[in-house]
Amino acid sequence: MQRPVPAAVDRATALRYLGASGWQPDAASVNLLDRAEKLVRGAATPRAVWRTLPVEALPLQGRGGDLQRHLQGCREVTLLAATLGSQLDALLRRLELSDIALAAIADAMASVLLEQVCDAWEEELRTGLAEQGRFLTGRFAPGYGDCPLELNDTLCQAVDSVRGCGLAVTPQHLLTPRKSTTALLGVADHPVTGAKAGCTTCHLRKTCAYRKRGTTCFSNAEPADRGRENCADSGSI
Amino acid sequence: MQIQEVFDRRRFVLLDGGMGTQLQQRGLQPGQKPELAALEMPDVLTAIHADYAAAGADILLANTFGANTRKLADTGYLVEQVVAASVACAKRAAAAKEALVGLDIGPLGELLAPAGTLPFGEAYDAFAEIIRAGVTAGADLIFLETMTDLYELKAAMLAAKEHSTLPVFVSMSFESRGRTFTGCSVESYGVTAAGLGADAIGINCSLGPAEILPFAQRLCRTVPAGVPVFVKPNAGLPNPDGSYNMDAKEFAREMQAYAAIGVSMVGGCCGTTPEYIAGLRESFAGRVPARKIPISRSCLCTPVRFVEVNGITVVGERINPTGKKRLQQALRDGDSAYPCTQAVAQAEAGAEVLDVNAGLPGIDEAATLERLVTELQAVTDLPLQLDSSNPQALARALRVYNGKPIVNSVNGEQKTLDAILPLCRKYGAAVVGLTMDEKGIPTSAEGRFAIAKRIVDAACAAGIPREDIYIDCLTLTASAQQEGAAQTLAALARCKQELGVRTVLGVSNISFGLPCRGYLNTTFLTMAMAAGLNLAIMNPNTPEMMAAVRAYRVLTAQDKQSADYVAAYADVQIQAAQITRSTAPEEQEKNGDPLFEAVRRGLKAEAHAAAEAALAEKDPLDVVNASLIPALDLVGDGFEKGTIFLPQLLQAATAAQAAFEAVKAKIADGGQAQSAGKGKIVVATVKGDVHDIGKNIVRVILENYGYDVLDLGRDVPPERVVEAVRTTGARLVGLSALMTTTVPNMKATIDALHAAGLDCKVWVGGAVLTPDFAKEIGADFYCKDAKASADLAKRILG
Repeated sequence: MQRPVPAAVDRATALRYLGASGWQPDAASVNLLDRAEKLVRGAATPRAVWRTLPVEALPLQGRGGDLQRHLQGCREVTLLAATLGSQLDALLRRLELSDIALAAIADAMASVLLEQVCDAWEEELRTGLAEQGRFLTGRFAPGYGDCPLELNDTLCQAVDSVRGCGLAVTPQHLLTPRKSTTALLGVADHPVTGAKAGCTTCHLRKTCAYRKRGTTCFSNAEPADRGRENCADSGSI
Repeated sequence: MQIQEVFDRRRFVLLDGGMGTQLQQRGLQPGQKPELAALEMPDVLTAIHADYAAAGADILLANTFGANTRKLADTGYLVEQVVAASVACAKRAAAAKEALVGLDIGPLGELLAPAGTLPFGEAYDAFAEIIRAGVTAGADLIFLETMTDLYELKAAMLAAKEHSTLPVFVSMSFESRGRTFTGCSVESYGVTAAGLGADAIGINCSLGPAEILPFAQRLCRTVPAGVPVFVKPNAGLPNPDGSYNMDAKEFAREMQAYAAIGVSMVGGCCGTTPEYIAGLRESFAGRVPARKIPISRSCLCTPVRFVEVNGITVVGERINPTGKKRLQQALRDGDSAYPCTQAVAQAEAGAEVLDVNAGLPGIDEAATLERLVTELQAVTDLPLQLDSSNPQALARALRVYNGKPIVNSVNGEQKTLDAILPLCRKYGAAVVGLTMDEKGIPTSAEGRFAIAKRIVDAACAAGIPREDIYIDCLTLTASAQQEGAAQTLAALARCKQELGVRTVLGVSNISFGLPCRGYLNTTFLTMAMAAGLNLAIMNPNTPEMMAAVRAYRVLTAQDKQSADYVAAYADVQIQAAQITRSTAPEEQEKNGDPLFEAVRRGLKAEAHAAAEAALAEKDPLDVVNASLIPALDLVGDGFEKGTIFLPQLLQAATAAQAAFEAVKAKIADGGQAQSAGKGKIVVATVKGDVHDIGKNIVRVILENYGYDVLDLGRDVPPERVVEAVRTTGARLVGLSALMTTTVPNMKATIDALHAAGLDCKVWVGGAVLTPDFAKEIGADFYCKDAKASADLAKRILG
């Protein structure tokens, strides 16, 4: 199902993805940011498919403790698969050849745009459930904490993401197109928050740049999923 | 029904409706694979088919949509078993009503490269397996449906045509914007499928009857007269929970609109049931399909880009190694980044088609052309002109090309025509015919016209439509044969008027051996356009030639309201031409070091200009060492200290890259070794991984420091890395991977390098890598970013 393209990219988050949080861009750089945003918004074709199932309908056992904790107290789980489409991938490939600065900014902006698409979708779902007196956790994705990427296969099959939004899993359990994501959200009859995957199960805990700065990749100050092995990549830069 | 009725189009042929929802309603459990219905619930499946036959369906699609080796992987069943059982159920139901049975084939469920990692050849093999099984099982036709990637459809069509003689029906799914998930347009789909020999072409799924209608109309205008068009819409648009609201009556009512547009087969997809098909029987009974009136047009395409060749169309000539030392070197090294960069630059400059030539002594032209086509179509959506006279090279390139290309070229020699025209026909390519033969190029316009006529006759006889034939009357060099230009243009005009074909010329040939070639090229181009030239093979990076093309379009009223012209030039100010006599070199401004400043501040155009100025006086290596590297070091240090941010570092890198282009051009002109000579490095993103921006940043930075970087791209198998290190003798190899699941391939690559006994150091990087992890998989070094990689290179290679 097609989803709207957000009206603007959240630049502050994009700059944080680029490791440039405190940067005051000069006029030429602002121009570069403007160009990147226009290109990314023009090439993105956001689509999402989702489905709500009883928790026991999915093989979620043995997928790590973090996911279990996240879904604690939830009888149902909503599965989401979302993508910005393959033409955005093509745009990024082109930019990487013609202007690497523009490409890196566009890449980060695309990751942010995908998060914004998912945020908007989640907000709709949450509002709808609230009207029924039901509650929703946040989004948890395969690759968080000790949850294996292999779960992407099950999840995408369950929502038929290939037919529904053109998102497919590779034999290495990566999502394609590149700017794609999956998520699991717990649904319950009572307020739930879900448990974030902590740092203890993260394999980047020793080298994490966020932890060195005394924060985490999921704290409010820096809510990006960078550092996590999520699907909205920002490359190794 | 006899299959011939499909093609006679004297009545509407009815197709069947949805299968998945029918199976669910009749007992398929959640988690149970619908593909296995023929084995686990054969009576139910047969009953569904029988209900569709009873409802009036002339063609029943066997329940083989997902019966491929990937989806059946963990079921314990083989493709042959599932296909045989499924086709048997459909045939049992079809027998009583004399319906036909189609072998139904859907997408494989994995994306093909470049969007995914599935190679074209493997997709072909997977489809071939199903098709062989379907033929054995006795299917009457092959039905490829719900396709969203034209490339996957092509793999399936080639497999169908090469492993059976059955009619092949094809169908893609479009979103409301009129494109598939992968961006394929209705027109690109129609011409490509028809060119590859589809026997019927349709649209199914995703949308309801009303939404598909305008796309079906466009398809009817695109698909050749002899090929039937069909639709299988959903029962309207789905609700968020996946259900459908449109009932059978409303469906039948909305489908009525299809009777008048040239569609001759109708059915349903998701949400439709036998009741819906019975409704269609009622409304279409006794009606004769309207005649389809396609538009005859000359076109070339990729999935995303559909180029109609009516007026003048610019073909970029830069990806041709003749006389281009840098490209020659890149082709010898197997380096795709350089030709890909050329492709992107030409597209930005206004090229609408790109010529691709891999003819270089000492390299395997067939393998190189195939590789180039694959790599180029990952970075450009412009159609390609496959420039070769080698039938093997053309066959391989045509096979992997995604869309409708043009082959350049055949000529009047019978053996060339015999070898190449059948390839163009098989793969649905347009073709260029050169007006020369074994006796050479006739001097007169008459002589060239006679050869053109012979080529056109041969092409038509080979089954190539006239609108796909392009004649090249050959540009001769004015300095050698001054009267030749007039003959070329006279022959061109005759070919257009008397043969009704399109024309093509390699424009720049006119000026060889004369100074200020741009003047001659632009004037000749203008004369040729006036004579009716359609494809101008030229350098789109030449501003005055592009200006001539845009101006011509304004003056011939092709550029409506001069919109494109205004868009291109509204903010352009033309400086009075600076004509400098080379005997009087201008004194360079010595105010500081402009190159250093331009790079430091990240100014791309200024850096290029400053480098060219510096190179007029200094040795290329001096320029690199005295200006470029110090500027990069300054920026890099700032980055490390946190006073400069990544976007700024990258802007400086881009500026340095622009400067380096000038340096490399200068080195190539001098005929010296093709490099700044700091040592060779191979980089790759490992097999299975498609996330490569980090690696690309590393490449740019390393190149800026003067290293010769051979970038093997992404999803690179270990053996290709080994091969590249062996042939280049690189002493440093960089590998990247983003995900934990692809790190094992990184280890496999390192192991393969060790096993081959190659004397090289390996460094690794990527989001999930850590110094410990790097050690664990046998890497020599870990680098956290591009700056660290450049520091490492300095340490190892100097």
